[in-house]
Amino acid sequence: MRYKRIVSSLLAAGLLAAVTLTGCGAPDEETVLSKDVVKVGCKNDVPNFGLMNIDTREFEGFEIDVAREVCRRIYGDDVKVEFEAVTAKTRGPLLETGELDMVAATFTITDERKETYNFTQPYYTDHVKLMVKKSAGFTDFKSLDGKTIGVSQSATTEQSLQEAADEAGISLKFSGYSSYPEIKAALDSGRVDCFSVDGSILSGYLNDSLILLPDEFAPQEYGIAIAKRNNKLAAKADEAISEMKQDGELEKLMERWGLTQ
Amino acid sequence: MSAFSAQKWEKLFQNIDLFIQGFGTTLYIVLLGLLLSLVLGAIFGVISTSHNKVLRGIARVYVEFFQNTPLLVQIFFLYNALPYVGVFIPVKTIGIVGVGIYHGAYMAEIVRTGIEATPKGQRDAADSQGFSYVQTMLYIILPQALKVMLPPLTNVAANLIKNTSILAIIAGGDLMYQADSFASSTLAYGPAYVVVGILYFIICFPLARLSGYLERKFGATPKPKDYTALLSAYGMGKGAAK
Amino acid sequence: MNELMNAFESVFTRSNIFYMFRGLGVTLYVALISVILSIIFGTILALFRAYGNKFLKGFSVAYIELFRNTPNLLWVLAIRFMVRMPEPFDAPMYSGILAFTLFTSAVMAEIVRGGLNSVHAGQFEAAYSQGFNFFQTMVFIILPQCYKAIVPAMLSQVITVIKDTSFLAQVAIEEFFNNSKWIMSAQIDSTVNQSMRVFIIFGFVALVYFIINFTLSCIVRNSRKKQEA
Repeated sequence: MRYKRIVSSLLAAGLLAAVTLTGCGAPDEETVLSKDVVKVGCKNDVPNFGLMNIDTREFEGFEIDVAREVCRRIYGDDVKVEFEAVTAKTRGPLLETGELDMVAATFTITDERKETYNFTQPYYTDHVKLMVKKSAGFTDFKSLDGKTIGVSQSATTEQSLQEAADEAGISLKFSGYSSYPEIKAALDSGRVDCFSVDGSILSGYLNDSLILLPDEFAPQEYGIAIAKRNNKLAAKADEAISEMKQDGELEKLMERWGLTQ
Repeated sequence: MSAFSAQKWEKLFQNIDLFIQGFGTTLYIVLLGLLLSLVLGAIFGVISTSHNKVLRGIARVYVEFFQNTPLLVQIFFLYNALPYVGVFIPVKTIGIVGVGIYHGAYMAEIVRTGIEATPKGQRDAADSQGFSYVQTMLYIILPQALKVMLPPLTNVAANLIKNTSILAIIAGGDLMYQADSFASSTLAYGPAYVVVGILYFIICFPLARLSGYLERKFGATPKPKDYTALLSAYGMGKGAAK
Repeated sequence: MNELMNAFESVFTRSNIFYMFRGLGVTLYVALISVILSIIFGTILALFRAYGNKFLKGFSVAYIELFRNTPNLLWVLAIRFMVRMPEPFDAPMYSGILAFTLFTSAVMAEIVRGGLNSVHAGQFEAAYSQGFNFFQTMVFIILPQCYKAIVPAMLSQVITVIKDTSFLAQVAIEEFFNNSKWIMSAQIDSTVNQSMRVFIIFGFVALVYFIINFTLSCIVRNSRKKQEA
């Protein structure tokens, strides 16, 4: 009787898993190209890139503008672009399940990620930086030996820092959190000694008592991410970015948000 | 790459030591947390039946506060707010203290109900024999109340085990955190969640069986034994007449 | 004192208050819908378990055991990251509702089972003797008594669901706790005392949850007193 229960429970688990696999299907390649409403994932807490204005409930930032322009070039002027807030953790899975058609959310292109997602060519390059309390007295990367770094789960930060640490011969501890506000809270309360992520994101949390260490790591190239199965859409998006680079539109948008490289 | 592809399973088995570490941490927190909650539950449960109004009030405040605020808020408070006043509790201890105090409130209510369910005559009889309040509780009341309290207590214990997963949110190194961390960095969500589900199941299931056994042995609710005979009259259940 | 007022003002700006209460709306909405759906499915599961044939009984037991032995947080994460909600339910909060419904249905099923057990066997006999069929017996005689008996346990579960919606912050659903955390870490100039801000926000969050849940539990207590009277 006991084994029957165990087996039937595991069977139920298997069933549930199978349902998530096969059921809830995502739209195919062609349908995705002829939508009226495109859903784009973006950040809601990175000033100048993707920030939500809590009064107007609208998203504002460089990536919002880039995504709008790309959609306009692919789908025509009548397209409606709906933005949804994502974190580093949720942006990937939501693309895979098909809830989002595109993601423009400080998503760094890496070879490993390219296996799972389609990326356009980069539209911006940033670097991983380190933010610490002024009062802690850290001077540079090496002074963080043995300390705890707060990183966002599913971001490239941990890997980049670990590689740099190995090279410099120091050891680091990492604590992963699911959103930036949590890492900031952990830094403030002293649970982590350093908050590390892309510099542009850190700028949204910088204040008088915090300081960015001079080191910068691993150039982070941001691209628009699209689900692996939507190759046609990915190709078109890439084309759009190409065009925007050539006709100066990208440069204009960067200037608008004060992000000239 | 589907959600359950072979590569993802491979990555999981390469990193199985993370899961095992998490499993161990969860067990540690579960055991100590259970102990703490039982102790707190017993103490506050007994206090809430005392004749002293102040003591009863304290127990009331404890129970009401911790039962009506989310565990997550309490844990976050311990983790991110207390350091500002200089109280720095290590993460695993926060896990133990957090779930211990929270579930202790539930256990206190169960203990109180159990004590109040024992016939009042018992206390008078013990009094007449010269037992002190504490002695009455320990030797007379609680042993009898235990029968009534055990099934709901095991229920609370099961919830405690599941609630330790909250440590994932404060980078606590428990099973859920390891699985979640692993899943986010390798994108192997499917296998990670299935394995974690199975591991939690392994921890919880013995307790569920114990609870079922206790319910059958000590359960006060009447069992509908007559139903089966009636069911066959309706043409359902075992031995149904067509 | 001045510092305290300063911190207070920086937390309770008009937009912050609106943002937090918006989150509270999401919290209560998710909790309410999840509970209603769980009561329905929980009842169905309990009936399958008590009166179903081998297959339905097995399914029900397997379902209940599965969800009672795994954490709620696991399902919140798994469903948010792996399941695509069909239109028009594709706002993020619906995946939260789905996760909570699946999980809480198992709990409700057990509560309903307890309620069914507490209804006297004689009720069935009486109903049958009056010519009610199974469906009628259930709907008009048994279930009403069952629900009356389990109202305290159900309301207790409602309170638990309201508290557990704080998990949804993990998957970027904008409910009350999530929004409060956002405000806690928002950029402010350093003239404001950060530690005061943090305590004020925690205090406020705890207070709001407490008021809502305490009110509900008082209702539970009053209804229990009325029952016993």
